[in-house]
Amino acid sequence: MRKVEKKTGKNGKKTLIGLILSFFILLGCVVFLIATRITREMSQSAITNLSENLDLLKGTIEVLLEREADYQKLIAKELMIIEQPEEFIHSYNRNDTIVKLSLIFSGEEEGISNTGEVFTAKELDFSDGKQVGELPMSSSYINSMGTWAYTLSCPVIKEKEEIATLYIEYIYDSFEAALPEKLYNSKATLYIMDSVSERFLLKPKGIGERVAGHLNLEDFYRANNILEKTIKEEVEGSIRAGKNVMFYHKVKNKNSLIYMWAVNDGSLYLIGYVPIEAIQREGKAVNQNIYIVVLVMLTAFSLCCIVYLFYERQQSRFRREQEKEREAHNRQLAEALQAAQAANNSKTMFLSNMSHDIRTPMNAILGFTALLVKDADNPPKVREYTKKITASGQHLLGLINDVLDVSKIESGKAVLTMGEFLLSSLISSIDAIIRPAAKNRNQSFDVSVMGIKHECLIGDETRINQILINLLSNAVKYTREGGSIWLRIIGLEQRSSQYERIRIEVEDNGFGMTPEYLEVIFDAFTRAENSTTNKVQGTGLGMAITKNIVELMGGTIEVSSEVNKGSRFTVELELRIAEQEMDIPFWEQHGISRILAVDDDKESCEGIQSLMKETGVVVDVRYQGEEAVTAIQEAMAAGNPYQLVLLDWKMPGINGIETAWKIRTEISEQVPILLMTAYDWDIIEAEALQAGINGFLAKPFFVSALKERLRELYAEQDVDSRETPEETESLEGYHFLVAEDNEINYEILREVLSIEGATCEIVINGEQAVERFCEVQEGEFDAILMDVQMPVMNGYEATRRIRALEREDAGTIPIIAMTANAFAEDVRDALSAGMNAHVAKPVDLELLKKTIHQYVRKKGAEE
Amino acid sequence: MKKGMYLAAAAVLLLGLAACGGKNSHNVNLVEQEGKEKKIINLFGPMEKSNPDADNVARTAHELTVLMAEEQLGVYVEYRTYTAEDYQDKTYDEVVADRARNNMDDLYLLNPDVTQMLGEEGRLADLSGLECAKHLREVVKTANTINGKLVAIPQEVVAYGLFVNQDMFDQYQLKLPNTPEELLECCRVFKENGIETPIGANRWWLECFVLAIGYADLYNGGDTDAQIEALNNGETKLSDYMRPGFTFLKELMDLGYIDAKKACTYEAIEGEGPDFLAQKTPIVMAYWGAANTETAYGAPDFHMQVIGFPTELGQIPVMPMTGFGVGMEAEHKEDAMAVLEVILSDEALQVYTDHNRVISPSKNVEVACIDALKPLNDRINEGVFVLGANANMKVEQWGNTCLIVRDLLNGASVEECMEKFDKLQEEALQ
Repeated sequence: MRKVEKKTGKNGKKTLIGLILSFFILLGCVVFLIATRITREMSQSAITNLSENLDLLKGTIEVLLEREADYQKLIAKELMIIEQPEEFIHSYNRNDTIVKLSLIFSGEEEGISNTGEVFTAKELDFSDGKQVGELPMSSSYINSMGTWAYTLSCPVIKEKEEIATLYIEYIYDSFEAALPEKLYNSKATLYIMDSVSERFLLKPKGIGERVAGHLNLEDFYRANNILEKTIKEEVEGSIRAGKNVMFYHKVKNKNSLIYMWAVNDGSLYLIGYVPIEAIQREGKAVNQNIYIVVLVMLTAFSLCCIVYLFYERQQSRFRREQEKEREAHNRQLAEALQAAQAANNSKTMFLSNMSHDIRTPMNAILGFTALLVKDADNPPKVREYTKKITASGQHLLGLINDVLDVSKIESGKAVLTMGEFLLSSLISSIDAIIRPAAKNRNQSFDVSVMGIKHECLIGDETRINQILINLLSNAVKYTREGGSIWLRIIGLEQRSSQYERIRIEVEDNGFGMTPEYLEVIFDAFTRAENSTTNKVQGTGLGMAITKNIVELMGGTIEVSSEVNKGSRFTVELELRIAEQEMDIPFWEQHGISRILAVDDDKESCEGIQSLMKETGVVVDVRYQGEEAVTAIQEAMAAGNPYQLVLLDWKMPGINGIETAWKIRTEISEQVPILLMTAYDWDIIEAEALQAGINGFLAKPFFVSALKERLRELYAEQDVDSRETPEETESLEGYHFLVAEDNEINYEILREVLSIEGATCEIVINGEQAVERFCEVQEGEFDAILMDVQMPVMNGYEATRRIRALEREDAGTIPIIAMTANAFAEDVRDALSAGMNAHVAKPVDLELLKKTIHQYVRKKGAEE
Repeated sequence: MKKGMYLAAAAVLLLGLAACGGKNSHNVNLVEQEGKEKKIINLFGPMEKSNPDADNVARTAHELTVLMAEEQLGVYVEYRTYTAEDYQDKTYDEVVADRARNNMDDLYLLNPDVTQMLGEEGRLADLSGLECAKHLREVVKTANTINGKLVAIPQEVVAYGLFVNQDMFDQYQLKLPNTPEELLECCRVFKENGIETPIGANRWWLECFVLAIGYADLYNGGDTDAQIEALNNGETKLSDYMRPGFTFLKELMDLGYIDAKKACTYEAIEGEGPDFLAQKTPIVMAYWGAANTETAYGAPDFHMQVIGFPTELGQIPVMPMTGFGVGMEAEHKEDAMAVLEVILSDEALQVYTDHNRVISPSKNVEVACIDALKPLNDRINEGVFVLGANANMKVEQWGNTCLIVRDLLNGASVEECMEKFDKLQEEALQ
C-alpha cells in the first residue's frame, strides 16, 4: 500500500515537473512569438519610416533641382528678351548654387561665360540622357572650384527659333543646406551618388562617419564588406532601372539597412546605411521590457515553485517525521503494553510468590501460636515455639523490608548515605555472615583481595554490604551442598588518583541460569524457578535491588552463567579514596620496619606488598615455609631481623603452624607471628598458640585489620586481662513518655518496658506529647519514645516543638524515634528534626535498651 | 532558506519597479531643444580607399588629434575628401588647389608643390605666429617658408624610401643597394631569376629617384644655399641636376625593371602594393608611415627593410614635407588656426607620433621607430637626406618633377624632359 502511495507520489511530482516545464516552454514560445512579431512589425515600421525619410530627402533634392531648372528657364526667357545677353552673362555673379553661367549662340562652337573665359560645351557630357524639368543634365564632374558639379542646358528660343543655349553649372554642395544635419541620431550615413559613374558626389555635413570618405560605390561595398555577388547584381540592375533598393546587411558587425534611393528618376542616388538598432530603438526597448516582464514573471513563478516545493518538502518531511513518531509511539505503546503485561504477569507471579512466602512463615507463626496455647504450661516447648515464631517473624520482616526497598529505589527516592569505611571491615562483616551460611551447606567460601591500593574509601557501606550479601546469599542459595563460592575484590587501574576502581566478582559453581532467565534476572519480582530451586525461599527482589543500588552508585553489574556449571556476577564500582593520614608513626612506634609474609599464593603476597607500600614498612615475601625459615635466619645473621611474621595456614610442604614452630626457635617471643587464614580460628587456635603464634589474621589481608590485630596484641601484652563484653543493663527505674497512636504497639511497648522494670506514660499523638511534656516537671521523663506517623501532629513536628520550648530540658531530653519508617533517610529526617536516635519497628528490645542507655546514661553522666 | 527567498522576492520587486520606471517629461513643448550650434571647420584632405577589416593607423592618429582640438575648442571639424578614381581624373593636388583658390574650405592638407604654388599666390595664411611653430625643426620651417611666411606645418615629417623584401634579397644573396649601379645589378639578378618587375612603381613617387640622385650633393655637400641661389638666379641649370636621375629611370624602364605602362596608371600603393605584399616584386617606394599602416605595408609576411634611395653618396631618404595650410580668406580662418594650434601642439604631436611611429616635426617629440625603418631613420638622424620640396627654390620641385617623370613614363625622352625643366626654370626667372 505504501509502495503504491510512493509511486503515486513520484508520478505526481513527475507530472508537476512536466507541467512546470510545459508552462516554461509554452511561455518561452509565446514570448518568442511575441518578440518576433514585434521585431517583424518594428522592422516593417523601420523600413517604412526609413523609406519615408528617404522619400522626404529625395523630394527635397528633386525640388531643388526643379527650382534650378525653372530658374534656368526663366533666365533663358530673360535672355530672349534682352538685347545684350552677353552683358547679362558677364554681369552675373556666382552664388552658392550657380557657379557658372554660360551661353553659346546657335551655330557657334564657343560661347561666353560669367567667369570671363571662353566657354565650350565639349567637356560636358549630356549623353546619359538625364534631365531635370525637361532640361538635359550633364554627367557630374569636378569643376574649377574643385568640387562636384553638374550643368543643365537650356535652349534660348526667340520667336520659336533656338538662338542660343544657356548652360548653368550647379554644385552639389548647394544641396547641403537643404539636407538635415543629423539622420537617425547621427547613426545613419548618407551620400549622393551619380548613378552613371557611381561616384560619390557629396557627403552632407554631420551625417555619417567623417573618416569614411567614400570614393564610389565599389569603395562603399568594400568598406562595408558587401561582397555578395547577388546583392551587387541586384543593386546594379535596380540602379540601371532607377529603382529604389533597400536590404539588410551586417556593417561593422551590426545589422543594418543599406539603402539606395533614386532621385530625379534615378540620375542621382541617395546611398547609405543605418544600423537597425538606431531605427528600432523603441522596438528594442519594447522587447527588452517584454523580456524583463517575462523574466520577472519567470522569477516569480520559479520562486512560487521553489516555495511550493520547499513547502511540499517540509510537509513531506513533517509527515515522515509524524509517521516515524507514530511508529515509535506505537512501538512504545506495544512495548509498554508488553511491559505492562510482563509486569502484570510478574506481579501476579509476585503476588503468588508473596502469598506463598508470607503464608509459609505465617503458617509457622499461627501453627506455633496454636501449639503455644496448647503447650502453655510446658516452658521448654513455649521457648522453642517462641523461638520459631520469632524466626518466622524475622523472615516476614525481611520480606517486607525488601519489598519496601525495591519500591523506594524504583520510585527514585533512594539516596546514598556516604561515609568513610574500611574495606577490611566490610569484608570481615560479609565473611561473618556468609561463611557460616556456606558452612551450613558444606560449601567452601573463598575470599581474595588483589591489587587494592587503598582500603579506606568513601561510599554507602550499608548499600555495598547489601549488594555483597544479596549476591553471596544467592550464591549460597543456588549452589548445591558441597559446592564452592568465590568472592574476589580486585583493584582496577585508577582513572583518577582520587578514586579507587574495584571489581567485585562473586562466582559459584551452582545451578547456573538459563539464557532466558539471564535476560530478566535484574527485573523485579522474578525468580529462577525449577525443580531444584523451588525449595529456595526469596522475594525475587534481591537482584533488582542490587542492580539499582549499583547503578545508583554509578557502577555496573554484569552476569554470566551456564546451567549446571555456575554463575559469575561482576560488579564494578568507583569509590572515592578517603583522605586518611598516613599512619607511619604507628609502625615506627611499635618498631616495625620489616615484615616477612609467607603464603603460597603469589597474588596474596603481592596484595600484602601493595597494601603495605604506603606505610613505609618493607614486606619480604616467601612462598614456602622452609624458605621463610631460611629468610628469618638470613635476616638475623645480617643483623636486620623481621619485626613481624605473617604466615598462611595452609601451604604446600610444611603448613603455617609447623613453620611457626621452626621460626619461633629462631626469633624472640617479642616478635609477633600472626596466622593468616580464611578458616575458623577456633579450630586451630590451641595448636597455633602452642606453636608460638600470637594471633589470627583473617584473610584477605588488610592493613587496618593487621593494625587492629597488632593493637590488640600490644594491649594484651600491656594488660593481662581482656575486657569482658559489656552486658546490656536493664531499664530499671526509667520513666518514659511514649507517643504512639497504635494501640497494639503501645500495649506491647508498655509490657516490654514493664518487664524491664521501666514505666511509661502514653499519649496518642504529637500534640499530646508536647502538651504532656510541658505539663510535667523537669526530669520527670528520662526520655521520650516518639512514633513518627501519628494523627494531629507527627513525631517530627512534635520533636521540633519540644526542642523549641523554653525549658531547660527541652533541648536535652533524649527523644528516640520509634517508627516503621526504617530507611536511612528516615533516620536522617529524625535526627534533623531534633531527635537523638532512631529505632526501627518492629522494635528490637536489645537495640532499644542499648540506645536508651546510650543517651540516658549520657544524661546521667552529664549530671 | 527563508532569507534567500525574501531576498529573491525583493530582487524581483525591484526589477519590476525598475522596468516600470522612466523619466516623464513635464515640458509642454515636447521638442528637444538643441544647444548652441557648433562651428564647423572644413578640412580638405585626401582619403585612402577603405578596407573594412584594416586599421588605418595614420587616419586614427590624425583623428585623435582632431578630437583633442574639438574638445578644447568646442568646434566640429568636418572632413572633405577627394581621391582620384584613376589617372584620368583630376589629381588631388589640382582639386585642392582649386578649392583653396575658391575658399571652399578652411584647412587644407597640402603636398609640397601645392603648398609652394598656393604660397606664392598668397592663398595661404601665415602660421609663424602660432605657438606650435616655435618648436618646429628647422628643416620643416625651411621647406614650408615662402616669401617669409610659414604657410604649412605637417603632423609628421614624411620621408620616402625604398621598401625592400629582405627575404628575396637574401634568397638571391644580394646586398641592399647603396648606389644606382648596385640597384641595377640587383634588378638584373631578380630579372634573371624570373622576377618580372623588380621595382613596383606608381605614377606619384618615381620622382624620389630623380630628386635623391639629383640633389644628393646639393643638400649634403656643404654649400646648399649657394647651389640653390645659383639655381634661383639661373647660374646653374635645373636640368643638370635632374638629368642623372631621369637617365637612371630611363635605364630602369628600358631594362624592364620598371613597368612604365603600369606605373602611369597605378595610384600610390593601390597599384604596386599587392604585388609587393605577394612577394612578386622585391622593391617598391613609399613613405615612412606606410611601414606602420596595415592598409599599406604594416603587416608583411616577410622581412621588410626600408632604406634610402641609392645615390652616389649612398642611400638617401627623400623628405617632401606634406603639411596643413589655412586658407587666407577661409570662412573660419581664426578657428582653423586655433585647430592647427591644438593638433600641432607638442601634446597632440606626441599622441600622433606615438600612435603612428613617425618622425615628428616638433623638436620636443621623440619616437622609437620600428626595426624595418631603422636604416632610413639612421640616415635622417645622421642629417643625410634630400628635401622633396624646398620653398626657397623658385622652381617648385615635388609636383613638377612628378609630372615630368610621368612624361618619361609616357615615352618622352630624357632630353625632352630636361627641356621642360629648362623651360620651368626660365619661367621662374622671369
